[in-house]
Amino acid sequence: MTDLALRSWRSGAKPDYFASRARGPVLSENRNRRPLETARTRLLVAGAVFALCFAVLGSRIIDLSLLGGADANRPTAHAPTATLTLARADIVDRNGTLLATNLPAPSLYVDPTMVLDAEEAADKLRAALPELDRDTIIQRATAGGRFVWIKRNLTPNQHYEINRLGLPGFGFVREERRVYPHGPLFAHALGFTGVDNHGLSGLEKAIDEALSDPTEARRAPVALSFDVRVQHALHDELSAAVADFRAKGAAGIVLDVDTGEVLAMVSLPDFDPNAPTLNTAAAHFNRASLGVYELGSTFKTFTTAMALDYGVVGLNDGYDATKPIRIAGYAIRDDHPKNRWLSVPEIFVYSSNIGAAKMAADVGTTRQRAFLDKLGMFAPIAIELPETGRPLTPKHWREINTLTVAFGHGIAVTPLHLIDGFATIVNGGIRRAPTLLKRDLDAPTDGTQVIRPETSAIMRRLLHLVVTDGTGKQAAVAGYLVGGKTGTAEKAVNGRYKNNALLSTFVAAFPMNAPRYAVLAMLDEPRGNESTFGFAGAGWTAAPVVGRVISRIAPLLGVEPVNEEIAPGRNDLVVHINGRSRQLASF
Amino acid sequence: MIRPAALIWIGLVVVIAVVLFLVKYEVKSLDDELAVLQQDTLAQQEAIHVLRAEWSYLNRPERLADLAERHLDLEPVGPGQLVAFDPWLEKTPNRSAAELGRKISSGRTEP
Repeated sequence: MTDLALRSWRSGAKPDYFASRARGPVLSENRNRRPLETARTRLLVAGAVFALCFAVLGSRIIDLSLLGGADANRPTAHAPTATLTLARADIVDRNGTLLATNLPAPSLYVDPTMVLDAEEAADKLRAALPELDRDTIIQRATAGGRFVWIKRNLTPNQHYEINRLGLPGFGFVREERRVYPHGPLFAHALGFTGVDNHGLSGLEKAIDEALSDPTEARRAPVALSFDVRVQHALHDELSAAVADFRAKGAAGIVLDVDTGEVLAMVSLPDFDPNAPTLNTAAAHFNRASLGVYELGSTFKTFTTAMALDYGVVGLNDGYDATKPIRIAGYAIRDDHPKNRWLSVPEIFVYSSNIGAAKMAADVGTTRQRAFLDKLGMFAPIAIELPETGRPLTPKHWREINTLTVAFGHGIAVTPLHLIDGFATIVNGGIRRAPTLLKRDLDAPTDGTQVIRPETSAIMRRLLHLVVTDGTGKQAAVAGYLVGGKTGTAEKAVNGRYKNNALLSTFVAAFPMNAPRYAVLAMLDEPRGNESTFGFAGAGWTAAPVVGRVISRIAPLLGVEPVNEEIAPGRNDLVVHINGRSRQLASF
Repeated sequence: MIRPAALIWIGLVVVIAVVLFLVKYEVKSLDDELAVLQQDTLAQQEAIHVLRAEWSYLNRPERLADLAERHLDLEPVGPGQLVAFDPWLEKTPNRSAAELGRKISSGRTEP
């Protein structure tokens, strides 16, 4: 570059700067060398910047290629596997049989702006979905907006058929639908879910959050305490009994007395949770856990256990049952009057109201209430169901209430309360909260001691005696030591007891020398038939159901049958039925 | 004039560019293959899931009971068909077998 050129560039580019410099007398001498130095300095700076950039790049290349880099050349051993995730966890029974699951069920929608011929589309759709109304389809296909549901949750067949029609404007959204492969079998226990996959009743509602929890853990199915085979046996026998005795309904429960696990829970009539809206409200009512009933003489189990546990009576004591008790304008009579002095075992075995009432009177109101409270008869059962009934108890507990509660009148509890209390009486006196979830066998089950183990042992003998010699003979099962108690209560209708509307209950446990399972059957307003000689009491209707259920489920549950003649622990079950004179073995 | 060193560098750049191009396309095709396999896996898992539901549906106890009644000569196991080990041994004529059985059932199995 010549001086001239430089000068002209200077004066053109920065006239002010060089003009001001030119004015100074000192600088005029170096005027020609300065621009060259400036240029060189600029080149140097630019060069240094580029050199730095290349140095950074170079060091990064060395880092990556020779030193191994940070993570850049880690080999990808395997890509993450795709896993099917569903909106709701599966539910399985204790043996892993699937009880509820989500299945893909696409839903059909229409984008009205893209429909070419709504009438033609409606005609074609009706071929695949005959349940839809032609006018409704046309109306939706011509509606405003860009998204209208036509039908939610199609079956695979419908999906295929509609896809084959190739209608423009109609599309599918991937959705899931809750499916219950066993249909009505677990209707009340499991409940059902709505179209948006949220639980609306039963267990589905109670543990809704755990089932729809969107974390890793929810992929594991929820294991319940139920056993499909036991549930089926109970459901089958109860349905047969409802048909036989033309009952309005029935409830049944099978409970593991040592862990509190519910193996089966049936309420009839029931419904299909796959199509829950098709049924009436009555079918949705859970009689086993929500319905509260006066369960009658089954409460004598609690009264007798209470009197024995407080030491108020011994097995050799007894009461005079010759005359009805008259109190506050009512008379307490016996249904199977013996009209004589009865020992405590006789009161229990022949189900004497008078004897039970006198026993309760001797225990006293305060202690009776404390005892029933400890057994959990005053609060709703804490179980994984939203439908739990609150017991109805007398507002003011007078003496007459003490007497009637002794034989199960004036107090209304759910069948679940009864079997829970019953399990406590026979299992050694430990009350455990019943549960619908499978328990970990190793985890200790906490419970509270309600009665002494010795009292429980005596109660087992008395309950077995009821089946061998008393009102529950029809529950006897060859090979198994069954013990239980009948309860036949008249239903209170409009404040009066109706003697032709009965509630027949039988609650039992087996094997009685070391109980493992408790079984309850309750029939709502059974009517006698020829096979029962017209009787509709618990001994004729509910007890045989329990007997048949036990004979079906005991081999399934691995309960070893015993030969009654040489059964181990047979001597433990001997009861002196009449304290005064004769001795009677309970076999 | 182009020096030989420059030629070598240019050649190297071209070779690296071609290799990079090829590797990139191979990775892309592997990626596509992976995506297809993932899709396939999901479809298979869904199919298994549906089949599990169907298996449970076909194994409903009332259906099995009905089928067994129609096609089999079997009956449900009753209490009478289950025999405990010990009472059976009492009736065994062969005493030594009974002794052995008792030992086994009591957990002492030394000869």
